[in-house]
Amino acid sequence: MHQGYAAMFLILIKREMLANLMEFRFFVAMIATLVLVVANTVVLIKDYERRLISYNSAVKQHHEKVSGVKVYSELDGNLLVDRPPNPLSTFNAGLDRRIGNAIAVRHALVPTLWDIESHSADNPFLNLFSSVDIVLIFQVILSLLALLFAHDAIAGEREAGTLRLTMTNRVSRPVILLAKYTSAMACLILPVIISLLLVLILFAMSESVLLRGDDCIRIGGILLTTIIYLSVFYLMGLLISVITRRTATAVTLAMVIWSSLVLIYPSLSVFMVNRLWQESSRLEAAYREIQQIWEQFEKEQMDYLKNDGIEGENTNFNVSGAGSSGTLNLFYSPTLQYFKPEYRNWTQIKEDSEPLISYLKAYFQFSEPRRIRAAERTWLVRQATLNQVYVQKANLARNLMRLSPAAMYDLATEAWAGTDYSGISHFITAVRQYRQTLINYFHDKAAFRSRQWFASDKGEVNWGDFPQFSYHPVDVFTGCKSASGDMICLLLINFVLFMITFLIFVRQEV
Amino acid sequence: MIWHLTKRELYDHLNSLRFAFTMSVLFVLMIVNAIGYLSEYKAQSVAYQKKVSASLDKMRSNADSLYNLLTEGPGILYKKPSMLSFCTGSDEAFIPESVDAGRASWSVGFSGFSVRGIWRMEYPQSNPNLWDTMPDYTNVDWGDIISVVLSLIAILFTFDAVSSERARGTLRLILSNSISRGTVLVSKYLAALIAISIPFLIAVLINLFLLYTSGNIPLGTSEWGRLSVIVFIAFVYVSICLALGLLISSCVSNSSTSLMVLLLIWTTWVVLLPSTLGAMISGKQPTMTSDEFRTHSEILEQNLDEQYRDRWAKIPSRTLPATQETLLWSKYIIEDAERKAELNKEHLDAQISQLQLARSITRISPASIVRYGIESLAGTGFTRHVQFLEQVHRYADEFQAFLVDTDRADPGSPHAIGPKEGTSQKPVRFEALPKFEDRISFSGAYNAAVTDIMLLVLFFAVLFAGAFFFFLRADV
Repeated sequence: MHQGYAAMFLILIKREMLANLMEFRFFVAMIATLVLVVANTVVLIKDYERRLISYNSAVKQHHEKVSGVKVYSELDGNLLVDRPPNPLSTFNAGLDRRIGNAIAVRHALVPTLWDIESHSADNPFLNLFSSVDIVLIFQVILSLLALLFAHDAIAGEREAGTLRLTMTNRVSRPVILLAKYTSAMACLILPVIISLLLVLILFAMSESVLLRGDDCIRIGGILLTTIIYLSVFYLMGLLISVITRRTATAVTLAMVIWSSLVLIYPSLSVFMVNRLWQESSRLEAAYREIQQIWEQFEKEQMDYLKNDGIEGENTNFNVSGAGSSGTLNLFYSPTLQYFKPEYRNWTQIKEDSEPLISYLKAYFQFSEPRRIRAAERTWLVRQATLNQVYVQKANLARNLMRLSPAAMYDLATEAWAGTDYSGISHFITAVRQYRQTLINYFHDKAAFRSRQWFASDKGEVNWGDFPQFSYHPVDVFTGCKSASGDMICLLLINFVLFMITFLIFVRQEV
Repeated sequence: MIWHLTKRELYDHLNSLRFAFTMSVLFVLMIVNAIGYLSEYKAQSVAYQKKVSASLDKMRSNADSLYNLLTEGPGILYKKPSMLSFCTGSDEAFIPESVDAGRASWSVGFSGFSVRGIWRMEYPQSNPNLWDTMPDYTNVDWGDIISVVLSLIAILFTFDAVSSERARGTLRLILSNSISRGTVLVSKYLAALIAISIPFLIAVLINLFLLYTSGNIPLGTSEWGRLSVIVFIAFVYVSICLALGLLISSCVSNSSTSLMVLLLIWTTWVVLLPSTLGAMISGKQPTMTSDEFRTHSEILEQNLDEQYRDRWAKIPSRTLPATQETLLWSKYIIEDAERKAELNKEHLDAQISQLQLARSITRISPASIVRYGIESLAGTGFTRHVQFLEQVHRYADEFQAFLVDTDRADPGSPHAIGPKEGTSQKPVRFEALPKFEDRISFSGAYNAAVTDIMLLVLFFAVLFAGAFFFFLRADV
């Protein structure tokens, strides 16, 4: 008996697959997908190469910038680290292309995502063109193909009468359903696999795209998510096909569902969150709080200057010589960027000012640790507020979007590619750790109380053992973990849709 | 006869599922759009007024001496917000709202005298993207509703227009009467157009009603005129999609194949082509990166330094007529400002021409044409920005000419504009100063829109002729 089922199942699958593969619409969709994938991959690889070149030159330039610095205090603002482009952004660009890629490491400011700049902003107007990636092509075109495969799977056969014919053989209904599902999925996976192969060939042809070992796992994850996603749409189509009597109705229904889920709903939810979420009052309150922290820092500084035993509250301590100095107030309220760096570089100090040097040393030893503490205190306020205002807003938009499987697919592949928010914040965390290394380095070198903090007249700083920034992209398990939620949701939808279709189909007249 | 057929088709459409879908989708989108932009214009214009008056106040305080005006310049010049931003407001985030016509960043002090640069134009670049973590999706404004959703709906209405009737055999039945095939095709087109325009027009009216009654957007005759041209563009665009649908539907025998082909064409035209071509152009004609720009301006400074090496020894003075020293400083300062402004302008022009190239190439896709047409009529986006920049440049010349003339009229000045000593120090009457006022002019917009409409009509003519040709030859 079992043998018979298996044989029948195979026959059915063969029949269905042949029918699907021979269809003109399959051919058209396949060609279209491949052409679009190849064309876009070529453009995206070119784009990646450009970003890589600009990354490499920026790293070199920023390295040279540090070597040109003569005193410790001038490091502030001259030490920049860069974020390398992610080769998997060709699959899902996510935030990788958009978010800035250079950030200044300062002891007077704890870096956050909102301090990020760009080393390669060549034409901001080009942001007017949105980016297309491979996942988008799959998301739009293959979901459409899946629905169109499925919409007449049952309804079409019922109309043609072949369904009744099949059933006159000893075939149970679950077998028919399963055979249809398996064969259609096999046909749907075909363009995905071929596209991936073509993409990998193009990657191999370009010398600059170097995939690391775990990138294979990531691409595998993207492939798996794609299959689950397409299965959702196929099952939706199958359900439509089971419940509708006529193929014409089934087509329209399929189109309505496709356009709502893939095109309209995600944009609608993001737009609503974007427009209706206003939180500027919270920003203002936090801005005042940060201002107070720096005012307190300045007050402490003034108190110190009053009691230091030198006439006048001058931070130059009446030292005469030549050089440059600066005390800056930098602030930008939308991102709550507010800090007060102070740099000094005497290239030459007059002989009679020499006794005053010890005062300067003592001053910086007093002020710089306090500046660091003030920066860390402002960071706590800033991080919390900006998270509430910007990150939570984006999270809300993402969660609202998730009502559409297309958005789930987008977000899951973004996580696999490492171009999602957590991938970016991983970089920021690394920069923050690097800042801590920098401060430790200052402490080790006793930099704050050294003459080289403010003067280069008796020798410049030797940057020989200066710690270098090295960044390792977020590992594949983190990506896997953040993708898993969406993938499980998609699997659940698959299961539910299959059960519903199955139950309706089993009890239905043909 | 044509009306009879159209009526029949129309009744069919009105009872269909797709009509209900069209109705609900358009209503939801237009209402969401209205809610999203309800208080936008008011907030924007209040902010605009505030910023402009801050700029003017600064100018008034600088008017106490001509030299101050010369170094500080007219300040930041702002772009007036558009009333119709709900039509295509989504792109505004990437387009700067102002030009900085202010103070130069350098000043040097010597024993006895000090000099500083005079005002010049700088073009701030708007890139909020750098720290924007919102997911990347299209906006819900008129431009997108029309170019994306309305075209999809048009395809939904026509993909089976011919093929399904052929399958059912009703087409043969119709043609057995003495009706030409052309009549059948035209009636199908008209019926679908009417069926789509009913919900579209109602949705548009609800949208405008909400915006208008909120009292935040004082729509005047000019706005209503432009809105009606936008609606007209929407109709032409829908017609293109209908013609495309009829064309494919009469070529292909099976309606689900026809749908597949149509939707592939649609995704390519509407979603993929504009973006991919845009990205391709950016690779073909790269402009200076921000780092390169910085290097260029450093080189420029070094060159000037070389050229005017001996200026350090010269001390400008207020003696009349101007001494050689004063004139040298004046020449240096003017040249510095001019060259820097030139570099800034060059950088900006390169960026603009790159984008213009990308825009003209993406005009292959009717969806882009529609978007650009609506944009120029709504007075938002890139077209408007270019217009704003032109006005700013005209104003900058006027301002500088005014300063030179006023200095010339002062008998106590050595007329060597640039250093403090060579320039008039007299107060300037604030009222006499030219002030920047951003005027949105739509004469250019209508011209641009006419070109876009002509292109669209051409698309329609070609596609409809194709549909006609294939339908004539089709087997029934």
